[in-house]
Amino acid sequence: MGAQDLNLLSLMSLFIFLIPVFYINRRLRLTINKTMVTSIIRMCVQLSFVGIYLEFLFKFNSPVLNTVYLLIMISIACQSIIRSSNLKVKLFFMPVFFSLLIPFTIILIFFNAVVVRIDNLFEAKYLIPIGGMLLGNCLRSIIIGLNNFYSGIKKDEKVYLYSISMFNSRIQALKPYFKESFLAAITPTIASMATIGLVSLPGMMTGQILGGSIPIVAIKYQIAIMFSIFYTEYFSTMLSVLFSLKVGFNELDVLNQNIFISKE
Amino acid sequence: MINFESVYLKRNNKKIFSGLNFFVQKNEKVLIQGKSGIGKTTLFKILLGFETIDRGRVSFNDLDIVKKHIKEIRHQIFYLSQDIDLKDGRVSRILDEIGDQNILKNQDNAHFTNLLNFLDLNNKILNQTVKELSGGERQRIGLLICFLLDRPVWLLDEPTSALDDIMKKKIADHILDQEKTIVLISHDNVWKKNDAVKIERWL
Repeated sequence: MGAQDLNLLSLMSLFIFLIPVFYINRRLRLTINKTMVTSIIRMCVQLSFVGIYLEFLFKFNSPVLNTVYLLIMISIACQSIIRSSNLKVKLFFMPVFFSLLIPFTIILIFFNAVVVRIDNLFEAKYLIPIGGMLLGNCLRSIIIGLNNFYSGIKKDEKVYLYSISMFNSRIQALKPYFKESFLAAITPTIASMATIGLVSLPGMMTGQILGGSIPIVAIKYQIAIMFSIFYTEYFSTMLSVLFSLKVGFNELDVLNQNIFISKE
Repeated sequence: MINFESVYLKRNNKKIFSGLNFFVQKNEKVLIQGKSGIGKTTLFKILLGFETIDRGRVSFNDLDIVKKHIKEIRHQIFYLSQDIDLKDGRVSRILDEIGDQNILKNQDNAHFTNLLNFLDLNNKILNQTVKELSGGERQRIGLLICFLLDRPVWLLDEPTSALDDIMKKKIADHILDQEKTIVLISHDNVWKKNDAVKIERWL
């Protein structure tokens, strides 16, 4: 059993609705046609490629290959996180990489071994889609966390330094900034847990139901994945700030000014 | 106690110090005067390790300003910045936090009340947030923290600029009466009049 295959031509038929969209865009002078087309093309091309190499990965189902694939995914996520946080990739790559890798590995292995109880922990069918979901969600929260933390201190540098001089403790001086950025990073996920199922069916569930799972199984998986996403986000966001302190600040606890991407 | 030996510092291609020599003995009171932008505040920042010099030597109590000594150095210096850059929040909470992080020698309630009275501050101010304070109140809260912490070296950047004349005089006399090493930046005349002060004019 499984979802019915889509005929390529029928899939292409979805392009028809672009005609009214283009027309309306032109009439309303919404200058988004170009960006829209680029995004649509990128989506189609990227997903086609994923389709091709997932097929390849599933066919070989080699633990080494699967792990390498995940590591590459983490590295790409890492770069994208750092760039979106307006920080220099060269400096932050290692700290962010490990703050993703550690919680990610633990949760993923736990998920496969204890929750799903599959024999082959490196089974591509589980490892890669679940890994992808965890990473995709962490991306957003780490960006918010790192960006708020470093830009917050930069904006507030005098106050931060004054706290250092009064408390004579880096931890005490950093605490409010850490608190603020961490809350901003994980609050959206907590909020989305509260409304899930009321408004929208999560993509994973939809996929499973289409794939032939009965709803109750799909829901169990969805609950498991929500837990995993939350834990991975929580720890990777926290670690990304902690691990990056060493590059973010100099020996005398002053924020390094050269960590930001200059906007000139 | 404080030694600056031929210190050079450049910021954004602008020379701030070229060969500065500056010495302060223990328990000396020094008033630095000079126009703004000449690097008076920078001097304080160097001592606290917030700015790093390009060339020369700076030491505090014979300790170089490096990672190994910075905790000990900061532990001895109280710095009152020009804008009293306190993080926003309730005044009482800030004072509590300061008390938690530092070992206050005199934790007596009577001592605290005396200081409040001396600074002409009302108990009600403790329930206000830093943002709500006026310039003068902020300055006096800064001085309150200074007296509470009671560290041996005080670096005061315009400590009386927002106070009225009677208060200026009262505070200046009190501060200069302390057995502390004090470096001051101020445009107020009250400081100059006091004989305890050694004046440094920077041109």
